[in-house]
Amino acid sequence: MRLINVYFAILGIVTVACGLVDLLVTISTEPFAWGIVEFPGELFRGGWGGLVIIFAGLFYISGARNVTDIHHLANILMGSVMIWMVAGCDIFARVTESIPGGEEGWFNTMEGFLGYYAPPYTSAIVLLPFSLVVIRYLCAKK
Amino acid sequence: MKLTADQRWDLIDKISKETVYVGEYQETLRDVIGELTVKPMTGIPVAIAALYAFWSLFSSFAGMFTDGFFVPLFDEHWLPWWQTHFPDDWGWVYYLVVGDPAADNCLEAFGMLTSGLFVAIGVVLPAIFIFYLILTLLEDVGYLPRLAVLVDAVMHKIGLHGYAIVPTILGLGCNVPGVAATRILETRKERFVMMTLLAIFVPCGAQLGIMQDVIPETMGLVLLYLMAGYLMTGFLLNKIIPGKSPEILMDVPPYQKPLMRNVNLKVWMRLKSFLAEAIPFVLLGVLLVNLLYLAGFIQWLSDALAPVFVLWFGVPEETTGPLIAAFLRKDLAVAQLSVIEMTWYQMVTAVVLVSIYFPCLATFMMLLQEGRKELIGSLLVLITVVTLYGGLIHLIGILAGVA
Repeated sequence: MRLINVYFAILGIVTVACGLVDLLVTISTEPFAWGIVEFPGELFRGGWGGLVIIFAGLFYISGARNVTDIHHLANILMGSVMIWMVAGCDIFARVTESIPGGEEGWFNTMEGFLGYYAPPYTSAIVLLPFSLVVIRYLCAKK
Repeated sequence: MKLTADQRWDLIDKISKETVYVGEYQETLRDVIGELTVKPMTGIPVAIAALYAFWSLFSSFAGMFTDGFFVPLFDEHWLPWWQTHFPDDWGWVYYLVVGDPAADNCLEAFGMLTSGLFVAIGVVLPAIFIFYLILTLLEDVGYLPRLAVLVDAVMHKIGLHGYAIVPTILGLGCNVPGVAATRILETRKERFVMMTLLAIFVPCGAQLGIMQDVIPETMGLVLLYLMAGYLMTGFLLNKIIPGKSPEILMDVPPYQKPLMRNVNLKVWMRLKSFLAEAIPFVLLGVLLVNLLYLAGFIQWLSDALAPVFVLWFGVPEETTGPLIAAFLRKDLAVAQLSVIEMTWYQMVTAVVLVSIYFPCLATFMMLLQEGRKELIGSLLVLITVVTLYGGLIHLIGILAGVA
C-alpha cells in the first residue's frame, strides 16, 4: 500500500475522531482543551462545525483506498475543502474579533490584536496544515 | 452546379471528416468534484458544509461591524449628540425624531434618526453586504445550480422543483427580489406556493441581521421553527392547491473561478437597490409607528388583541406594537421586541410571529404586482398559518415546560 494512502487513512481517522469529540463536547456544553486543541462546546462551532469535520474525515477514509484513482482523489480533495471551509471560517472569526477595540477604543492594541491568535486553536485549524498535503500531491501529479 | 441530396450528404461527410476532430472524453478532477456535489450521498454533506461557511462568515462579518463599530458609534456618540443638541422643548417632534429622552442606546430610543438610522446602517447594511457577497460567489462559482439539483427531490414534496431554492435563497437577502424570481417557475400553482412560502416563512437579510444582534442564542430555534413551517405548509399547499408541478431540465455549468469584476458589479447592483428601498422604509416605519403610539392607536389595539396574544400565542400584549411595525419593516419589529420584557421562549415565539406575520410593505407591493388573486390567496393562507402555527409553537412550549 502506498504511503500517501496510509497518510490519508490516518488523517481521516483523526479527523473523524476530532469531529466526534467536538460533538460530544457540544452535548456536554463544557468547553474542553487538550494541548493546543480546543473544543468550544457551543452549538454552532462545536455542533454544526463538528458534523462537517466528521464528514470531512469520512471523505478522507473513503478516498484513501487508492489516491491515484481520480474518483478517490476527488473524495480526498473534497475532505480537504471541507476542512478549509471550517478552518477558514474559524480564522476569519478570530480576525473579526481581534480588530475592534471594545471599551479600549475603536481599534484593538497591537498586543490585544496578537493575543487573539495565540493557542488553543479549534480542531479544524490544527488539521489545516495536514490537509494541505493534497495540494502538494496534486502539484506533483501535474 | 446542382447536387442531389445524396451528394450533399457525401459532401457534408467529407467536410466534417476533415474539419471535426472527435477526441476521447477524459474525466477531469473538476468533473468528478462537480458530480460529488450533486449526488445526495456526498452532496448533502457538502451542502451542510457550505451552509455552515455561509452562516459563519455572515455572523462574523456582520457581528464585527455592528457590535465592534456601529454600536459604540451610535450609542456613545450619535444618540448623545442628538439628545444634547435637539431642542427638548419640541415635545412630540423630539419624540418622533430622537425618541425616548431617557434611552441610553439606539435600540431603545426608537426615534427616526436614532433607531431608524442605527437599524438601517448599523445593523442591516453589513448583514446585507456580506449576504449578497457570499451569494454572488456561490452563484458565480457554479454551486447554486448544483444545490438546486440536490434539493429537487425535497422540493417536489412541496409542489416545487429544485430551482425554487433560488427565490428562497434570494428571499433570505430581501423578499422583493425573491418574489420577482418566482417568475422562473413555470405553473401558477408553483408560483403561488413559492410566493406564499416566501411571504410567510423566509426571513429577509435585514431581519436575520437584527436577530443575530439581539437574540443570538435563540436564533437557531427561530430558524428551525421557520424551516419546519416552510416544509409543512408547502406540503399542505401542494395537496390543497390544484395544478401541476412539472419536471424541468436543468443546465449545470462546470465549476469556474468567479470574475471579480462581475462579483463587484452584482453585489453593488443588489446593494444599491436594497438601500434605496430599505433606508426610506425604515425611517418611515419608525415615524409611522411613533405617530400611532402618540395617537394611542397601538395601546388601543394592544388592549383589543391582548386575549389573543396572551392566551393563544403566549406572548405579552406589548408585542402588538412590533407586529404593526412589522408591516413596514420586520427588522424594525425585531428591534422593538428586544426591549420588551419577556421570557426567552416568549421571545422565540414573538420573533417567529413577526417573521410569519404579514409581509413587509415592499414585499406586499411586489405580491400585488404579481396578481390580485394570488395576493388575496396568499393572505388567506397567511392568516390561517399565523393563527395555527403561532398556537402550535405555544403548545410545544407548554408541553416542553418552557412557555
